[in-house]
Amino acid sequence: MKKQLKWYKSYHPWLFLIPTLIGLFVFRLWPISYSFYISFTTWDIMTPPKWIGFQNYKELLSDPTFYKILTNTFLFSLIYVVGVMVVGLFLAVLVNAKLKGRDFFRTTFFTPVVTSAVAVGLVWSWILAPKFGILNNFLSSVFHINPPIWLEDTRWALLTVAFIRVWKMAGYYMIIYLAGLQEIPGTLYEAANIDGATPWQRFKNITLPLLTPTTFFVFTIAIIDSFRNFAIIYTMTRGGPENATNTIVYSVFLNAFQFYRMGYAGALSYVLLLIVGVITLINFLLKKYWVQYQY
Amino acid sequence: MKRSIGLFLVVLLFSVFVLGSIAIAKDVVLKYWMWDPQLTDEVNKLIAKFESQNPGVKVELTAMAPKDYWTKIRIAASTKKLPDVFNMSSGYLEEWAQKGFLKDLTDYVNKDIDPEKYFINLFDAGKAISGTDKYYAVPFALVTTVLYFNKDMFDEAGLSYPNSNWTWDDFLKAAKALTKDKDGDGKIDQWGYYFYGRYANVEPWIYRNSGYLINRKKMRFEPNDNAMEAIKFLISLVKEHKVAPMPKLMSGMKAKDVFPRGLTAMWIDGSWNIRNNRKVIGNKFRWGIAEVPMGPHKADVEFGWPDFISMSKYTKHTDIAWKFIKFASGEGLSLDMYMAGKIPSYKPLALSEAFLEKGKQPAEKGLLIKMAAKEMKNSFTKGWGEWRGYGGAEKMGLNGALDSILNGESFDKVWPSAVKYINKVLARYYK
Amino acid sequence: MINKIFIYMLLSLIAFVMIFPFLWMIINSFNSEENIFRVPPSIIPDRLFKKDMFENYRAVLKDYNFARYGLNSFIIAGSAALGQVFTCSLAGFAFARMNFRFKGIIFALLLMTMMVPIQVTIIPEFYLMMKLGWIDTFAPLIIPSFLVGTFGTFMYKEFFENIPSDLEDAATIDGVSALSMFTRVFFPLAKPQTVTLFIIAFMNNWNDLLRPVIYISSKNLMPITLALTQFQGEYDAQWGYLLTGAVLSIIPLLVVYIALQKYVVEGITHTGVKG
Repeated sequence: MKKQLKWYKSYHPWLFLIPTLIGLFVFRLWPISYSFYISFTTWDIMTPPKWIGFQNYKELLSDPTFYKILTNTFLFSLIYVVGVMVVGLFLAVLVNAKLKGRDFFRTTFFTPVVTSAVAVGLVWSWILAPKFGILNNFLSSVFHINPPIWLEDTRWALLTVAFIRVWKMAGYYMIIYLAGLQEIPGTLYEAANIDGATPWQRFKNITLPLLTPTTFFVFTIAIIDSFRNFAIIYTMTRGGPENATNTIVYSVFLNAFQFYRMGYAGALSYVLLLIVGVITLINFLLKKYWVQYQY
Repeated sequence: MKRSIGLFLVVLLFSVFVLGSIAIAKDVVLKYWMWDPQLTDEVNKLIAKFESQNPGVKVELTAMAPKDYWTKIRIAASTKKLPDVFNMSSGYLEEWAQKGFLKDLTDYVNKDIDPEKYFINLFDAGKAISGTDKYYAVPFALVTTVLYFNKDMFDEAGLSYPNSNWTWDDFLKAAKALTKDKDGDGKIDQWGYYFYGRYANVEPWIYRNSGYLINRKKMRFEPNDNAMEAIKFLISLVKEHKVAPMPKLMSGMKAKDVFPRGLTAMWIDGSWNIRNNRKVIGNKFRWGIAEVPMGPHKADVEFGWPDFISMSKYTKHTDIAWKFIKFASGEGLSLDMYMAGKIPSYKPLALSEAFLEKGKQPAEKGLLIKMAAKEMKNSFTKGWGEWRGYGGAEKMGLNGALDSILNGESFDKVWPSAVKYINKVLARYYK
Repeated sequence: MINKIFIYMLLSLIAFVMIFPFLWMIINSFNSEENIFRVPPSIIPDRLFKKDMFENYRAVLKDYNFARYGLNSFIIAGSAALGQVFTCSLAGFAFARMNFRFKGIIFALLLMTMMVPIQVTIIPEFYLMMKLGWIDTFAPLIIPSFLVGTFGTFMYKEFFENIPSDLEDAATIDGVSALSMFTRVFFPLAKPQTVTLFIIAFMNNWNDLLRPVIYISSKNLMPITLALTQFQGEYDAQWGYLLTGAVLSIIPLLVVYIALQKYVVEGITHTGVKG
């Protein structure tokens, strides 16, 4: 039986969506359509765009570096998404407990999120430096191993930069998880305690399942966010060494604001959009298999 | 009655409007954009002087960080709302001139610029860079590349200081004697020399050996034998003679701090580093500058380039804008606007006693004036930042390729693909 | 008992790992320029407890007018964040609790538009702002955020979808209007989400550098992020002022966070509906 529209008229949804629709069409879709058109041109910003059809896309697909960049992008995203989800949830659970001083800890965990990328880049470059950096000095004196030069080693650079970004953003996902954790009624935990459940059992059987809507949200956002790695790469490695940390968005930045090839940058962006769009679509299609709403 | 009042009001409003426009029209407003926010105060002083000499003219200054400057001004160009007067760099002059955004200043220069008062070779360098036969930009400063050396380390090793007659052999001998493991832990603490693939580190060697990177007739990357000789010599300093560290060893430290921190006895980079050197070194050790050693195929030229001011093609106030440009590149300037190591193109400033800054290091500052009069070479082309590897792209292009060779990769593996990449970029700009 | 000690040790270790770059910034805001990049780095700043200890702060706040820039940032970020809460809660509610044509497409568009890098959309956006006459005003920094938000809408949607329909049915029986269903029944339940969105939207707007660079030219309209670029010269930067300014820029964010996150506590969402 079809549910009757009892409390809203058919025009109400549109009323509620007026700001969003205006914003969406004027400030999002217009610039995106324009830049999509630009991806079929060559444009240096100063002189008018010149139509070149699919040439940008052809150049992109025939450039071996592009495939390296693509691989880096996926790898980075994988590490990032897994990292922030696990660490973010871990931190949220920690600071959700009724501990004294938890406000202080909530704040300190959030601090890297607001610390400027420049400072983050500088300090971490120091820590990871080969000659005077504390990490390598520590590893060689205590464990007697010869550590790699993290940011300059083609095998480790990407992992290192991704790790630093996880460190920076874990607090962001922590607060989202925290909001989600508040939806789980404390009564459920009390009942579990009476039944003699261990913390791990409580987590596995109450927290995780009831958190799935939030987890879905976090997962979706983290995927989209994982591709926005321009700032951290710029401050730490500038895409090097030998393109080891070059990702699609970093290439977009280079082509848009350093080489002034807006058309090519556009082509890169829309290939990215295609990829992320497909991933997100699959994500949404699979949603019903694991996300449980409470009611 | 009402009608007359109405008419009166209309006339009144009209006259206010007309008089107001005249009053406003009297005040010419020039917009000036520059890329060094650190100099804002000094430039405002210059503007105040200019305004007092030219009543009815106001100059609006906008100073932006270099990173943002170019993007913002290109957007301004696309909307035809360029500032009347703006800074122009050697790297972009060709593009801007050829795309028709700059006013041709040839007549003004020929009429107004006194060759006695300016280093005319810098004006001509601008002409050459623009690839045209017109002057599109007025130089106000020059930077060049010098050899910085640590006098205390030289004294300790009993070596005589570098001079303009040094050969590569002299350099290598000194570098070897200056590379030391001071605390006996098996790791070198003091290097004879430090460099990486950066344009300011590498190119002076090439030009002073009669080398070139770009074949200007074909506009392709075709280094001649002399250039390759210089590059191979530099690579050998790291790989064979081990007098310079692999660049990755210095990761985490800013390249311009390696010399002032006393980690290397010699360093070649832009003359603008004098200020940072003074700041970081203080009185910790004595240091000096010398010319970069010439190679076996001597060429007494310098790797340097001017910074310019240009006029927008669309400005409505060409004469007053020219007056301002002349002022801001000559008599309006004072030495405090030249961060140490930048050389004025205006001779009264450049040749003054004050420029020598006696009493401050380096003692050889007068050398910069000698160098400023020589022919300036560089490798700027359209798309230079992309193929050379500069700014956000510094880990790529020629810079990135050289770095990977210095860090251990084999030359034969890296070089051919680097050449291909560079020429692919150049082919895009020069068919 | 040992459990508690262990947990506190873990928390403190993590806290230190998280906070040390910020500590480094604070330490260096009390350093003279030469001492900032000393190798090996000095832990005790050289101006600590000396006469000119607060010199960097004084210069940045007074000489460089950062109090004004901070106010600008506050107005911009505050308005944008309020707008986000307003728009996204309404939209998220509509997506979650109402049915209408094109619902899926519009939501998909919302998500999609978040995936395009800003470097390619900023210049078309600029041309649009030029047509609207908003260049060199606060408008381009506030209004786009005010009107639409993917993150916020998505977050509210997930939250509102997770609420029992019994609540809705009970309210319908009481004869509540559509607007009141939102303002009196659903929205008050979303305190943690509202607070979280406000913090995130505030922070994102506060830290945005690209839009202020492109849109703002007048000195008195600069937000803090743009003002900090004034310390970058052609070949060098004034690190002392840069870091001090950055510290000053972070503190309001932390204050907003601290003030608001105490509202992120278990809500009274399940008032006896389950029976």
